[in-house]
Amino acid sequence: MRRLLAALLLLALPAAAQQPTTPQLAADLSTDRVEISTGFTGSSVMVFGATERLIGPETGDDVVVVAWGPPQPTVVRRKVNVLGFWVNGPAATFPEIPGFYAIAATRPVWQTLPEEVRHSARLGLASLPLRATGSQGPAFRAALLDLKQQDGRWQEYAAPITVAGGRLFSARIAFPDTVQTGAYRIEVLLVREQRIVARQELFLRVERVGSAASIAQVAQVQPLVYGVVCILLAALAGWLGSVIFRRS
Amino acid sequence: MQVYLPIAEMSVDALLLLGIGFGVGWLSGLFGVGGGFLLTPILILIGIPSPVAVASGANQTLGASVSGLIAQWRRGNVDARMGSVLLVGGLVGSALGVQLFALLRRLGQVDLAVAIFYVVVLGTVGMLMVRESVRAIWRRRRSGGVATKAHEHTWLHGLPFKVRFRKSRLYISVVPPLLVGFGIGLLSAVMGVGGGFMLVPAMIYLLGMPTSVVIGTSLFQVVFVSANVTLLQAWQVGSVDIVLTLLLLAGGVAGAQFGAAMGTKLRGEETRALLGLLVLAVALSLGWDLVRVPESLFTIGPAR
Repeated sequence: MRRLLAALLLLALPAAAQQPTTPQLAADLSTDRVEISTGFTGSSVMVFGATERLIGPETGDDVVVVAWGPPQPTVVRRKVNVLGFWVNGPAATFPEIPGFYAIAATRPVWQTLPEEVRHSARLGLASLPLRATGSQGPAFRAALLDLKQQDGRWQEYAAPITVAGGRLFSARIAFPDTVQTGAYRIEVLLVREQRIVARQELFLRVERVGSAASIAQVAQVQPLVYGVVCILLAALAGWLGSVIFRRS
Repeated sequence: MQVYLPIAEMSVDALLLLGIGFGVGWLSGLFGVGGGFLLTPILILIGIPSPVAVASGANQTLGASVSGLIAQWRRGNVDARMGSVLLVGGLVGSALGVQLFALLRRLGQVDLAVAIFYVVVLGTVGMLMVRESVRAIWRRRRSGGVATKAHEHTWLHGLPFKVRFRKSRLYISVVPPLLVGFGIGLLSAVMGVGGGFMLVPAMIYLLGMPTSVVIGTSLFQVVFVSANVTLLQAWQVGSVDIVLTLLLLAGGVAGAQFGAAMGTKLRGEETRALLGLLVLAVALSLGWDLVRVPESLFTIGPAR
């Protein structure tokens, strides 16, 4: 219904009437599932697509790709020196920040979009709302930004968007081995003349599979059973070892 | 070869874990202790989160001590009655220790508490061991060995609730063993160690037990207390990583056999002096980490 309305609207505009069916932006993911198995060391997903018009500084069209992980409440602690010992002192808790955030663009968004748009669409690490409870102060935010980028869970222009033939684009989103499980959202934006003219949302699940999944599942759902199994397995391994390596 | 640890939520080189297990197992076989006091700091050093390192360290200690206990039990070197009394104290102590650990985790001071416990306990025990063994070596060189009294009567023997421990040839109050068991249980929950390196001297010097049953009886206590710690940590903190434990054990049981074979060639005093120096070295390096200016003043972690 919406598409029909849009088509009707486009027909009403004389300039766009020539090609009403061609979308301005189309994008997809190489996979909609990232599996954490026993041998998992991190993974990456390809975001690719095409635009109607040519991409580049000449035409003024830019593509921005943003990936969001599930929210992960995070605490930042500052070490203080007490009587010569470095102990964890004041802490700031950030209750609503994404556990994973990555942005890639053909040109950095501060060159192509005004500040209000960047803030409302949360484009770029500087535009993330970092509300904290507990200790306030810019040093905690700076440390959060710094440490999250160091371990690869927040990325700003870490990988480029490559453009082929002027209209085909692709970007790689890399997930570190510490990536959380859950639902991930990937936004692909088309930017023209300081405005977001088209956007597409794609979805991705990160989940544990195989033995890693069942171990984590049992440990979480039935911790008592898991504890007993851990005890029995360790005892069995110790006993087996003494049998195998016994000197006759 | 990288392997993903499902509870620690990170991937680690499996060969590195096998190697660490082997090395610690070798030392523990050589010195006749569980080796948990080495293992937990090493795990923290390679980036395993402290709660997972402590809980999985306790689980590994359980596995490593089982084979020793079986061997000692066959030789009749376990005083089950003394072991049970120690165990009652140990279970209460470790249950309280896990609560303390969960509280420290909420306060965000786990790393500090674990480090301080290690520095104080290892520093004290290491110093005592080195002093005692150096004295013994010195005494042997001078006079060629002097017979000492089996044990002296102190105020400890005036306490009520006396019980006869036949294997240990003791008739003492149950209060001191209960207290010793409690203390070790508490420490093993917070430090992720079995506590053998503290329990053995406590049994010899505080309770006056004969050396022949000390190792077996301490293993008895260590196996059950570390099982209790594993269960409580899995239940209340959720930080036991069985993949990590089994990899460490696979290396550990092999290493322990080689260590034990080599240990028989060393003299008792020299072994104790070396172990004391090792314990002191671990204490010093952890202590240094507490006082040196940290590379980054800030740390991040999940808020729970």
